[in-house]
This record gives sequence, structure tokens and C-alpha cells, in this order.
Amino acid sequence: MAEVNLRHIVKIYPNTEKKKKDNSKTNLKVTERGVIAVEDFNLDIKDREFIVLVGPSGCGKSTTLRMVAGLESITEGELLIDGKVVNDVDPKDRDIAMVFQSYALYPHMTVYDNIAFPLKLKKVPKEEIDKKVKEAAEILGITEYLGRKPKALSGGQRQRVAIGRAIVREPKVLLMDEPLSNLDAKLRNQMRAEIIKLRKRIDTTFIYVTHDQTEAMTLGDRIVIMKDGVVQQIGTPQEVFDEPANLFVAGFIGVPQMNFFDARLEKEGDKFCVKLADAVFPVDEKTNEKLLANGVSPMDITLGVRPEHISLQEGANTLKGTVEVGEMMGSSIHLHVRSMDQDVIIIAQTVDMDGKHIETVSYGQEISFSFGAKVMHLFDKETGESLTK
Amino acid sequence: MNTKQNTLTAENRRKTVMSVVLAVICVIYVLPVVTVVINSFKLNTFVKTETFALPTAESSAGFGNFITGMTFGNYPFWKSVLYSAVITILSTVLILICTSMAAWYITRVNSTFCKIVYYLCVFSMVVPFQMVMYTLSKTADKLHLNTPWTIPIVYLGFGAGLAVFMFAGFVKSIPLEIEEAAAIDGCGPLRIFFSVVFPMLRPTMISVGILEIMWIWNDYLLPYLVLDINEYRTIPIHIQYLKGSYGTVDLGATMALILLSIIPVIIFYLTCQKYIIKGVAAGAVKG
Ligand SMILES: Nc1ncnc2c1ncn2[C@@H]1O[C@H](COP(=O)(O)OP(=O)(O)O)[C@@H](O)[C@H]1O
Ligand SMILES: [Mg+2]
Repeated sequence: MAEVNLRHIVKIYPNTEKKKKDNSKTNLKVTERGVIAVEDFNLDIKDREFIVLVGPSGCGKSTTLRMVAGLESITEGELLIDGKVVNDVDPKDRDIAMVFQSYALYPHMTVYDNIAFPLKLKKVPKEEIDKKVKEAAEILGITEYLGRKPKALSGGQRQRVAIGRAIVREPKVLLMDEPLSNLDAKLRNQMRAEIIKLRKRIDTTFIYVTHDQTEAMTLGDRIVIMKDGVVQQIGTPQEVFDEPANLFVAGFIGVPQMNFFDARLEKEGDKFCVKLADAVFPVDEKTNEKLLANGVSPMDITLGVRPEHISLQEGANTLKGTVEVGEMMGSSIHLHVRSMDQDVIIIAQTVDMDGKHIETVSYGQEISFSFGAKVMHLFDKETGESLTK
Repeated sequence: MNTKQNTLTAENRRKTVMSVVLAVICVIYVLPVVTVVINSFKLNTFVKTETFALPTAESSAGFGNFITGMTFGNYPFWKSVLYSAVITILSTVLILICTSMAAWYITRVNSTFCKIVYYLCVFSMVVPFQMVMYTLSKTADKLHLNTPWTIPIVYLGFGAGLAVFMFAGFVKSIPLEIEEAAAIDGCGPLRIFFSVVFPMLRPTMISVGILEIMWIWNDYLLPYLVLDINEYRTIPIHIQYLKGSYGTVDLGATMALILLSIIPVIIFYLTCQKYIIKGVAAGAVKG
């Protein structure tokens, strides 16, 4: 239970010849001081908040988490836990716990000893250790494995042990670095639900790292989206979904990905509208006000529309396309439509509210589709930034 | 059907040939030990004439050779056993603790200094003992490393190369995250080493331990050069005194003593064999 404040945190890995090659893959900035893995990270984490750091691999999530843990030195900036600057405090004195992607269990100890280890180091009395270990094992459903060594456990069980080891000591902050990445899809969903339950049982501040946007959306109170060491947006799952700050966030959050179109923003009097192919879409009032407030003038934009917000409809002000592929998902079908020389994904329902099957489209069929004013996301074509921030 | 049988017999034949070859190699390996065992029960005169024959009623010395071996001369045999044991145990323990820590440090702290130390260790493996032995015995004398209680330091020096090399190889295979987890759980560096790394090193400990024990227990030259021979004799040195001043050697007694001296090593090896299991670290990380 504690607040965590990250103030202008920067991590620079000094250049070494070998590492330079690796970084050609990512777009990290390289200065004469080294590779900037994390750039000016600012975040105030409230007590008992569940923060998720999300972004593609190599974007500096783990590095940030490891700086909070004290496993990595902080190049610049201040890290506060519970109001105290802990930049130079050893990991063991920060009162944090961490769950690693690889579980990092002690192979020579039984499950019981693994979980008891942090308590033993704290010199907690034996009976109390026993009580706490059994309690944690109960919560995680690993009581029957307490006498086993880690190598006799499955991946999911190992991860539970790792979580058990982290929660017994009731840390101020619980850090998790991609804890579910090594599990298969089914187990991952199951464990995700359990983490949500666990979170209700133990009152502590969570920082959770993942590259999976679904995990981020389902687990986080707030999500921090990162790219190339730079924070792109911080917000609740709803906020980042509804109002992505830039093209990257818009594309990263949401499955299937948001559709992007090259469009033109026009202004007639005080009213903005978006011109796309032959169609003209007036923007809604709220957006209009923001555009006015931001002093936006007519320009080339990237228009973003989520697949679930596009509907198949005939008539004026629609866009035309050809169905190329349809992915049947059960209650809906993902249509890949060729339109305006690009691929557009549209989610169409297959069943209406009364359970009647809606007429499905066939491949190669010409269709027309449209979307409402409220679901349009407008981005500056050059900078990729949202115009309605 | 026919062809299947043919391939089967071909395979059988190959297996038979392999078995024979391996059996021959086995015999070659075991022969010296067997010779020692046989001859330790023979009278001295028969050792030379019927070296490979089993002891007969005529040639058998019973346990006479063992008794001679343990009682000859004016230096008590139990003392040499004691000194051998002290030197071997102290040296091995010293080598295991010091080199495992050194190897851990060298692997985890990736500085130029560590690299230099590592390569010096590797280099020391290829320097023959004979090249340094005279200066060594002089230096050991000066530094009072010439007693069974201090000679382990000399052994540490000679044993470190191989041990550091082997430990470093294993430490590299231990995932760093386990140590990081320990650091977060509340361990300082010493605790990390002794509570987490040290237990994981056990398979390598045993391999290195066996090598060092066999080497030090059987070593003749180093203690002979360094120790004060009149006061401290290890078993190999003691055996050598069976060669009387008249140029005669009691071969039967020599064999008996050699047999006695290799028994502890064999027992040790057999008991530890089951601990030499690979994959103790398996299961710590994703599997
Ligand atoms: N020790 C290091 N030296 C140099 N660069 C490193 C080092 N560790 C990580 N990096 C770089 O920092 C970037 C961020 O890494 P990381 O935080 O592990 O990414 P992720 O978001 O996938 O967890 C990566 O591009 C990586 O190449
Ligand atoms: Mg990572």
C-alpha cells in the first residue's frame, strides 16, 4: 500500500559496441551518452491503484519496472515510494515484490520454502510464516503442491507459486513483468481472471507490464502506453479506447485494429467536416468545439474509425468496397473489404437481438458502408497526434 | 520379413562388436587396479615372477603385506593417513568455497579486471607444475606454508584454475532473474550467494570436488617438495619409504598400501555418484 511517483525518469544504457547492433531494430534514440531506453517518464500512481504498462516489445516497459524495483539504476529523475525518494535504495529495502516472466523460483527449495523465503529473511516468527504461507497457498490453490520442488510443477502452477511468494510479504508495491506470457492462451485467460480476483483480496499498489493490449484493458485502472521509450498516453482503459492521443495508441488499443483513411478536414464557417472519397462526414458538436478551441485549420488528416463502428448501409454518403475475406467469429463476422485501394475491416453482426440470422454477405460482393459522426478519430497526418486532445 | 531379419542381425552384430570393443577398453582400464589388488595379497618374491596370477596357497601372503605396510619404519602409518586427510579435506573445502565465489563474481560483474582474472585462471591450467616447483617450494618455506594446515593455500592456487573455469561455466547458465528475485526478496549479495547460488551449484561442486580430492589425495610431488618430510608425510610419500635404503622394494607391501590409499577415494566416488545429476536448475524458469 503506497503511492509511487515517477518524476522525469530517464534511463540511458551506455553505448557498447555489441548492444548498438541490437538497437538498430528498435527506434530508440541514441545520444553520445548511450541508448535512451526510457525518456522522461512521469507518473503519479495512487495508493492501491492498478497500473499497466503496455507497448510493443523493446519499448522500455521492463526497464521502467526494473527501475522501480531497484534492479536497474535510474539515470535521471526521481522515484518516490510512499513519499520517499528511493533512487539509491537497495531493492531489498524498498519493500516491493516482483513476479518475473520466467517465474524465477528457487529450484532447490520446495514450494513452501519458496513462498516462505522472503518472510524468513524478514525474521518473521515461524508460526506466523507457516500461517501466511498456508493462507497464500489457499488463495492461489496450490496447497497440495507445497512439498514439491518447482520442476515438478506445470507452468501455471509455477506462476502461482511466484505470485504467492510475492504476496505473502504484503509489499507496498507489487510489480509484475509479463507474468502470463509463458502460459498458453487458455491458461492465460484463466490466470488473468484470477489476478483480477486476487487484486480484490490484497490491498496493494500494482504495476503490471504486458505487451498484450487485452490484458492491459481488462486489468488496469489506468494504462500507460509506451513506444520507443516514450510514454504515448496515460489514461483509463475507456479513455485510451475512446480518445487515443495519437495514431500509435489508436492502432495499438482495440482488436481488430482501427481503420485509418487519408482524408481532408474542411471548414465551412464554424463547422468542420471530413471529406473522404466522395463522401462528406460532418463532425459532431463536441469534436467541433475542440477543433475550434485548438485552432485547427483545414488540413490533410488521418481519419480513424474502429471496425465495430462501421455499419453496412446503402444510400447517400457511403463508401464502396468489395468483400475479400470474411472471418466468421460466431456472433459476428470480420469482413476484410477492399476499398479506396486499402483494406478496411468491418465487424458485422450475424445474429440480431431476436436471434434471427442476418443475411450474410458473400465474397466478391460489392458493398457500401458508413459510420456516424461520433466515432471518427481525427489525427494530424504529419505528426500523427490527435486533433481533439 | 526376410529383410527385416537381416537388418536385425546386422544390428545385433554391430552391437556385439561394440560390446567386445568396450569390454576390451574396460579391461585395459581395470587391469592396473586388479593387478594391485591381486599382488597386495602375494608374497614379495611372487609379485615379480607371477605378476598376473591369482595368489595361490604357495604365493599368498594373507594380510601380511597390509600389516607390514602399516607398521614398517619408524613413522606411524596412521599419522600419514591423518595428514593426507587433513590436507585433502581442507584444500578441497577451501577450493570449493573460494573458487565458486570467485567464479560467481567474475561472471556477474563484467569488468575488465574480472576478465583478466578469468583468463589468468584459464592460463594457469596450462602451466606445468614442474615449471614453477622450485620457486614454489622456496616461497612456501618463506611464507610458512610448509605444514599440513597451511599447504591448502598452495593447493588453492593450483586448483583454482580448473575450478573457476568449471564454476564460471555453470554460473553462466543460472538465470539472472533468480538472483534478482532474491535481491528483491531481501537478500544482500552474501545471502544471495549462500542461500541461492551456492545450493544451485551443487552438481558442479561435486564434480569439482571429486577431481580435486583425487588429485590432492594422490599428489606426491607437491607435498614432497613443500612439507618437512621428517615430520609430515602423506600416504604417497610414506609408501615411497618402503623402498629400503638397500635398494630393495617390498612390492607386496607397496601394493597393499596403494590399495589402502585408493579405497577411500573409490568409496567417496561411489557415494557421490548419485548426486551428480544434471538439471538441478530445471524448473526454475519456464520449462
Ligand atoms: N543492458 C542493456 N544495454 C543496452 N540496451 C539495453 C539493455 N537492456 C535493455 N536494453 C534496450 O532497452 C530497450 C528496452 O528494453 P526493455 O525495457 O526490456 O523492453 P520491453 O518493453 O520489451 O520490456 C530495448 O530496446 C533494449 O534493447
Ligand atoms: Mg520486457
